[in-house]
Amino acid sequence: MKGELLTHTPLKKLKEAFPELDWKDLLLHLSYTIAIEKVSRACSHQLVRHRIASFSQQSQRYITVQRLSEKTVVPPTVTESSMDDYLGVIDYASQGYQKLVTNEVPREDARFLLPNATETSLLMTMDGKSLMHFIGLRTCNRAQWEVRELSDIILYQLREAEPEIFNNAGPYCYQLGYCPEGRHTCGKMKEVLERYDV
Amino acid sequence: MKLRLVSHSPDIETTIATSMKTTTSGAMPSTLFNRFKDRPEKVEDIVGRIELQHGNILEHNRLVWSLEAPRDMVLDVMLRTKYLNFTKLGNDRWVVSGNLRSVIELHITHRDDFTETLVETIMEASPRIYDFIRRSEK
Repeated sequence: MKGELLTHTPLKKLKEAFPELDWKDLLLHLSYTIAIEKVSRACSHQLVRHRIASFSQQSQRYITVQRLSEKTVVPPTVTESSMDDYLGVIDYASQGYQKLVTNEVPREDARFLLPNATETSLLMTMDGKSLMHFIGLRTCNRAQWEVRELSDIILYQLREAEPEIFNNAGPYCYQLGYCPEGRHTCGKMKEVLERYDV
Repeated sequence: MKLRLVSHSPDIETTIATSMKTTTSGAMPSTLFNRFKDRPEKVEDIVGRIELQHGNILEHNRLVWSLEAPRDMVLDVMLRTKYLNFTKLGNDRWVVSGNLRSVIELHITHRDDFTETLVETIMEASPRIYDFIRRSEK
């Protein structure tokens, strides 16, 4: 998995042009383009639920998935005892997919056999406000492990690029000073705040 | 009405080329981006062949303008598009931002002083997309 901040609109220039506004007022006018690589389709489905954003994702209509078994994400909960089952199904899906492609079934239809574990890469662009929301939700202890790992990588890079803004970013408990998850709270707010504190 | 481009994402056309190739090539987007940064002639070639299609390839950027205009005119623009963002500064001064797709689509559907000026301001940020817009008008 990889996340790399490719470009962003620098805060400095906007602060110079509009000195009456602070970074919170300017969030909506800032944008960040991130290359997200080798995550599962299960992860990218979560990304695209953030609707105030733009995505350009590798197309399974145009790109044939070669060597599927080498291009899948294996969750850490799939340990030795279940690994054979997991990889067996991937292998079976891979064979089926390749057969369909060989038999000239269009890729857009053959892909119906590809599992959620299939790796994908994409470009994602978000404005600052949406990105703060994305980080708030997806770095939370309750987020799914893969998207949480990715969000941590992204947050690290954002803090390097624009510390004035993103030192304030982290899971919602870090941003708000309280946990908004109600009865679903992880109950580890103190530990989380320490992890994201700068 | 006075409109001035204040800031924009860097490497807009490199990002457009990266976006175009990400969907179809199988190469990693960061590899494409870094490769294209060293090869402006390649970017020129790819972006020069642009067809709008999904349009999402034009969304990976942000342009920020300073606008001086009466409230009624701004309201009129806001009612025509939900894809530009506005912040009021006071005394008919505004911050406006959006991406290239928003600019093009607004220009296609509404031709007036505002959208004409909007298009003129992108010439420096993205000369090939500017050419594309002007070519499409003919």
